[in-house]
Amino acid sequence: MAIIDPFKDGLGRGWKVFGGRHAGAQPLPERISCDVAIVGSGAGAGITAELLTQAGLDVLLIEEGPLKTSSDFHQLEREAYPQLYQESAGRKTADKAINILQGRCVGGSTTVNWTSSFRTPDDTLAYWQQHFGLKDCTLEALAPWFAQAERRLGIGPWLAPPNENNELLKRGADRLGIRAATIQRNVKGCWNLGSCGLGCPTNAKQSMLVTTIPAALERGARLLVETRAQAFEHDGSKVRWLDCVPVATDGSAASDRTVRVSAKHYVVAGGAINSPGLLLRSKAPDPHNRLGHRSFLHPVVASAAVFDQRVEGWAGAPQTIYSDHFLGVDPIDGPIGYKLEAPPIHPTVFATTMAGFGLEQTRQLKQFPHTHALLALLRDGFHPQSPGGRVRLRDDRTPLLDYPLTAFVMDGARRALLSMAELQFAAGAREVIPTHELARSYRSWDEAKREIAALPMKPQLTRVFSAHAMGGCGFAGEAKLGVVQPNGQHWQLENLSVHDGSLFPTSVGANPQLSIYGIVNRLASGLTHRLTGRTVSLA
Amino acid sequence: MSLAPAAQAGRMSTGPSRRRLLQLGAGATALFTVAGGAAWLWRPGVRGGRLTPSGRAVFRAVARAVLEGSLPAEPAALDAALERHLQRLDETIAGFPTATQAEIAQLLGVLSVSATRQWLTGLRSDWADASVNELEAALRRMRTTDHELRQQAYHALRDLTNAAYFAQSEHWLLLGYPGPSAV
Repeated sequence: MAIIDPFKDGLGRGWKVFGGRHAGAQPLPERISCDVAIVGSGAGAGITAELLTQAGLDVLLIEEGPLKTSSDFHQLEREAYPQLYQESAGRKTADKAINILQGRCVGGSTTVNWTSSFRTPDDTLAYWQQHFGLKDCTLEALAPWFAQAERRLGIGPWLAPPNENNELLKRGADRLGIRAATIQRNVKGCWNLGSCGLGCPTNAKQSMLVTTIPAALERGARLLVETRAQAFEHDGSKVRWLDCVPVATDGSAASDRTVRVSAKHYVVAGGAINSPGLLLRSKAPDPHNRLGHRSFLHPVVASAAVFDQRVEGWAGAPQTIYSDHFLGVDPIDGPIGYKLEAPPIHPTVFATTMAGFGLEQTRQLKQFPHTHALLALLRDGFHPQSPGGRVRLRDDRTPLLDYPLTAFVMDGARRALLSMAELQFAAGAREVIPTHELARSYRSWDEAKREIAALPMKPQLTRVFSAHAMGGCGFAGEAKLGVVQPNGQHWQLENLSVHDGSLFPTSVGANPQLSIYGIVNRLASGLTHRLTGRTVSLA
Repeated sequence: MSLAPAAQAGRMSTGPSRRRLLQLGAGATALFTVAGGAAWLWRPGVRGGRLTPSGRAVFRAVARAVLEGSLPAEPAALDAALERHLQRLDETIAGFPTATQAEIAQLLGVLSVSATRQWLTGLRSDWADASVNELEAALRRMRTTDHELRQQAYHALRDLTNAAYFAQSEHWLLLGYPGPSAV
């Protein structure tokens, strides 16, 4: 079956892509005027661009990363991490205790995520209504917006059998009497390769790269790639223009030329670290000191296990089974709960995620084909002792996230390591290895239970990751509770909106992509109506 | 490593870097003074996006300990493998943003001066002369210490080494990884 790369064809027909070195790119103009300038090209930016262009608006997308398409995706970590991820997949919190995976390419994180699609959980929405005045964030009010996004992006049940890595999650959960269920995925004609995190080489994944961005370009939108939105110029109530600079793949300035973008309206959708970073660089009004605060990560801890049979965690759809059992043990504002999933594992991410070095490391790496992995996403942001982190600027004006791993969060990490080890032994593991510097390889659940209970749960010693940056520009029903209004518009800057995961006032408690699609669908439809009087629809 | 997140690689000046260093713990500040003021700043471990000779010496030694059991045993093959590994490390480091490259440069700078190397790692021998046993002991101490800078240095050295080495397809055999499926 021939794989059609929509960009090859589209660029040939005159799609307007500027910047960078991609074939067909044109020189960057010094000044650009448009109706709406959108910063970013990921989940929130893509949905917004599709809806605005439907109404005939002249849209400009500004993406810091490169344009890479299915023709460039070779399922290789050494290519994918530097080209497609923020900071070469090595973005870290200020104290280096958490490694953050975020996309940095056309399509943003949707180009490299693992396709897991969940609507925003009802208890999360109830918390937002109660604590952040988001009265319209009800399951019923959002349902049609989610349904449209699901239709547009081919989100549906995964009907093929899970790979062994995911099957083991189900097997262990069944034996413990814990509910595990199937994850919905945004794919059409998936080849079951397992390389979603390295860019889908077959365009089966219905990311922004193959859906909304091509749709917007087809309707005349312009796309600037390898261009960083540097700062807004504003007078405290209205943005006048946005200055952008060309950047190299490593993020350094590629030249001193500034591109000045003038628009009627500006949409910030650069992701939950870069969006607050851009507003901080712009000295956006922040009378209630909310900007950059309450940044959440779903801090992740992982547990590896070795089985007698081959697991081949690199092969097949990456995340198809999950368990929310441990999100429901305590109330949402009680001790931190966690979601269990079985992540894909490739050589580099495996070798860097496991703790230790030398002969012990070599022994573990040799068991790679028999290794199963579980991860626990800790639901942060619902308890006073889980206030998240804060985005600030480095001296070179790039954003940096301070995220203290509190004892409250690390208590959840310990319970999660225990739950995962118990489940893995129940599934038949012959050894379990928590990703903790002082952990050993445990041979039985009794041994693991005793030893994990005694591990010092400290940052650095416990290896912690995240692929879900959220918050920092939270929306709220009152100005003193958030950065933007419930409709996405900035509380102080009238012609600026935020449309990405930085909106969320807590973490989601589920992989955030569909939460961004659904909620931004509603906000962008509203924005389109305010700007044009027209009603548009995703699907 | 958060030694001095401020300075930009390739144009580090002592001014802002010195100011940032003074924000570190008193022990670190005293050590840098002992090490001869800002002398280490003149031998950063990365320059122009590539490892300098002193940076290469650090990573070559670290690789011998971190990758023990994964590297070829035969001396000529080992040399060749380490040489390819250092090239791949150059490419890996070149992919990082300016601020991260500057941090790696400064970490390697500190590790290249005898007094600061001993303070940060406990390693008495020069990198090139250290035995695998001495290197392992140093890494083990850094790994489990309560000292944040030492832990950060351990993770940086170990993770960069593994990331560069296991991204190379020639090393997938060791893991039993067949490589990507055909498309």
